[in-house]
Amino acid sequence: MDQIESQDELYQRVAQEYGAPLARLAYAYEADPELRRDLSQEIHLALWRSFAKFSGRCSLRTWIYRVAHNVATSHVLRQTKGKSVRTFLTLEEAEAQSGIEDVELSAGRAQALSRLFALIQQLDPLDRQVILAYLEDLDGGSIAEITGLSAANVWSKIHRIKNVLVRRFHRGGRNAL
Amino acid sequence: MPCDELPDDLKILWKEAGMDQPMFSTDQLRAEAKKLQAKQRRDYLVLSVVFSSAVPSYAFFIYLFHNTLTRLESSLALLVFGYLVIDTLVKRARALPDLGETDGWRFYRAELERKRNWHRGLPRRFLMLTVPLILVALGLAQFFAQVSPFIPPVIWSWAVFLLIVFAIWGPAKHRRLARKYQDRIDALDSAVSSTGQAGPKD
Repeated sequence: MDQIESQDELYQRVAQEYGAPLARLAYAYEADPELRRDLSQEIHLALWRSFAKFSGRCSLRTWIYRVAHNVATSHVLRQTKGKSVRTFLTLEEAEAQSGIEDVELSAGRAQALSRLFALIQQLDPLDRQVILAYLEDLDGGSIAEITGLSAANVWSKIHRIKNVLVRRFHRGGRNAL
Repeated sequence: MPCDELPDDLKILWKEAGMDQPMFSTDQLRAEAKKLQAKQRRDYLVLSVVFSSAVPSYAFFIYLFHNTLTRLESSLALLVFGYLVIDTLVKRARALPDLGETDGWRFYRAELERKRNWHRGLPRRFLMLTVPLILVALGLAQFFAQVSPFIPPVIWSWAVFLLIVFAIWGPAKHRRLARKYQDRIDALDSAVSSTGQAGPKD
């Protein structure tokens, strides 16, 4: 009973504290609003269940992001099935690809944000994990712990992701202006 | 957004993203967990009923058709269905990597492997099903030839259809999918093993 209570309390605290990052994470993995709602529920359910087993061997934040990303990765693979397993963009492809759409960047931050989400939604799940953690301001060590990549690999990916972002947003900006 | 908001300003923009945060109470989650368990139990039941229905069907075949070929293939079909029931249940019961203990790369790889193995295994299962089904068709054609000359061609057409679907089209499709997953695993492995140039720390 004690364990159930602490599991519930921990979940409530985490839902309060990480609600916004988890909502952004779901948004970055699923564009369809209905499916996104399902994914959010799946993530929250998995988190609540996982807290019964949380032993503190890693930090709570690492645990939360691992659970959320792993659930979202399963969701993405389930949704795309085999037919489009190769349609995820590699970072090279993302760098080479032209702008997603020529939006008027001056139209505002909301459009820039939707471009950012659209770009992330095309990336391979592992690259998504890195870029999302980077955008959530996690340090390299934490990203390495969440993704299982080496620190050097994480930094290399972050560097390339930043290049993609710069190219994409400059390109869009030049097209639009 | 002006172009100078790059890329660190994107972090600010990112965090400003105002979106609905779905809230779930623990009671809701508990109810959802129960619902999922019930669904899993129902799926098991449906699966068991579907597979088990094959047993009386083929037993009926053995009872109804008295030629040796039909009896032999019906017995073979029973064995195959029995194997498939156990195989499916064992595969379903196999636990996935723990969500919180497994890092993102390993989990992603395990998921890809699971999908690859599923598609790799299907041609074998298809073939196991096709052999007894074709043999059953052979036996039925032999049996019904004595009743009417028009029935065997219908059975043969059915057998050819089964052969095309289960022995040619199905396996080819699933091998192709398995290869796609394997390619993805290889790409993932090479991306992870090559550390590349470490980028600047911001």
